[in-house]
Amino acid sequence: MSAFPTLSQWSWRRHGAFTGGIVLVGLMLAAAALANWLAPYSPYDLDVSKMLQPPSLAHWLGTDEVGRDVLSRTIHAARISVQVALIAVTVGLVGGTLIGLIAAYFGGLIDLLLIRLMELLFSFPAILLAVVLMASLGTSILNAMIAIGIIFIPGFARLARASTMDVLRQQYVEAARTIGMSDMRIMFREVLPNILGPSLVEAAVAFAYAILLESALSFLGLGAQPPEPSWGNMINTGRGFMAQAPWLGIVPGLALFICVLGFNLLGDGMRDYLDPHMKE
Amino acid sequence: MLRLIATRLALLIPTLVAASMILFLAINVVPGSAARSALGVDATPQAIMRFEAQNGLDRPLYVQYADWFSKAIQGDFGKSFQNRVSVGPEVLKRLPVTLELAVLSFLIANLIAIPLGAIAAYRHTKPTDTFITSLATVMGAIPNFWLATLLVLVFALKLRWLPAGGYTPLLEDPLKNLTRMILPALSLGIVSSALLLRIMRASMIEVLSSDYIRTARAKGAPGGVVVRRHALRNAAIPYLTVGAVEFGFLFGGVVIIEDIFRLPGIGSLVLVGIINRDYPVLLGATLVVTVAVLIANMIVDILANMLDPRQVRRSSGST
Repeated sequence: MSAFPTLSQWSWRRHGAFTGGIVLVGLMLAAAALANWLAPYSPYDLDVSKMLQPPSLAHWLGTDEVGRDVLSRTIHAARISVQVALIAVTVGLVGGTLIGLIAAYFGGLIDLLLIRLMELLFSFPAILLAVVLMASLGTSILNAMIAIGIIFIPGFARLARASTMDVLRQQYVEAARTIGMSDMRIMFREVLPNILGPSLVEAAVAFAYAILLESALSFLGLGAQPPEPSWGNMINTGRGFMAQAPWLGIVPGLALFICVLGFNLLGDGMRDYLDPHMKE
Repeated sequence: MLRLIATRLALLIPTLVAASMILFLAINVVPGSAARSALGVDATPQAIMRFEAQNGLDRPLYVQYADWFSKAIQGDFGKSFQNRVSVGPEVLKRLPVTLELAVLSFLIANLIAIPLGAIAAYRHTKPTDTFITSLATVMGAIPNFWLATLLVLVFALKLRWLPAGGYTPLLEDPLKNLTRMILPALSLGIVSSALLLRIMRASMIEVLSSDYIRTARAKGAPGGVVVRRHALRNAAIPYLTVGAVEFGFLFGGVVIIEDIFRLPGIGSLVLVGIINRDYPVLLGATLVVTVAVLIANMIVDILANMLDPRQVRRSSGST
């Protein structure tokens, strides 16, 4: 595993995509964290006298069908997306890593059952499983986080299982066993810290996917509920006004696209560093 | 080969049973939610009890599942809570729309991914490669429902070349059918092509650097022939495996795309099932999509084995 380059080794040319990813993700996280300061207006304030106004100096990205500022709503929506993705990826990362770790460590029937279940969950189209779970759990942003998190569990579990199997072959694990360390201690003190690298890279890519899924659910009316701004529900609303006010659908979609692009580039860049052979 | 197909078919059955169990559990994960959702938040406890008794929802979950399963294998997927229409025939009626959309999208994805991936690999590290790889990165980050919205804006609202939605059956008027399916299929296909393109490029680069390609080149075979006749076939195996996953992904995407373009397929039925909290409809529709994905995976698995006989020996040795 190669270490990340120091600043003096950093080549903007060679790491162009990675740099782009860091910049885009940084911008997105800054927008989410500083939404209250960055947004020029409240994302909820209605003003029907200003509805469907095209971009202007007062409203840089125009106003929506009830006169709310589109820029402010787009910035605040970043906050929801980042929150959902953070919780969902954490649920998937923790749940999946534990399952993969336990499956590989104990092996045998436990491994067979857990991994077959994971493979089965993996075979469902993700959005479909999310939609079904949302139908049962009820439509809310919290449930969207849980549903998306559950979808990520199989991917992280497979990865953690494969990495654990590699680590279990190492001599230090054998040494830990020889000195009589308990299974729990070996799993969490010896194995876990050594399998987290690839899972964290996967987390960056999963983050992009979580944001996409949240938007898709909100687009279908199953995630963030109005008036709460989400890129998904904003695009859905914008769809109805495409002829007279195209910015309503274009702006939130562009924000979503940039965000997903940023996390994808970041994930690719991290993968290249951790495993230079994957660069192809 | 026949043995391989038989093994894969035999494996499909327990997978399907387990998949139906998971879907059943996922839909019923919150007890009593079916009745509450169907009757609304103001429903009295008596009304909920009556509804549950009527629909057999007051029985233990495993009894409900066993009952549903025994009927489902005979083709009876129950009746809609909402309008008492049988779910099975409704799903069957909508299946061709979804299948056509998925196949057409997959075709578009491949038409983009295979040539561009091959060209990028052939021009590895050249500006053409950089351009195509960047294009794939951009395409992969576009949300398909946003792309659909943009395509409608450009081709239906501004240029007025294509309709913004609606459906004409393929057999009724093939040309009209195509004009209505092309935008939905493009929305799904373009986004899906990104991953396929990257896989095509990666496996082609690997194949093109192998010894037998070098030999073919040394014997003076022209570049195009080397790519078409030797490299593509060998690059196809990893490509097919990812293709199967992507095909499943496409099926997930139909839920949104069918809604946007008002296509009467299974995706829109799933959505109707959710909006009306109509669980028999939701279960039937999602199960059919899952079956389609599992069968697609199985076919690809068999195809990959046909292309690479080594895999047959490997898989029969490991299972």
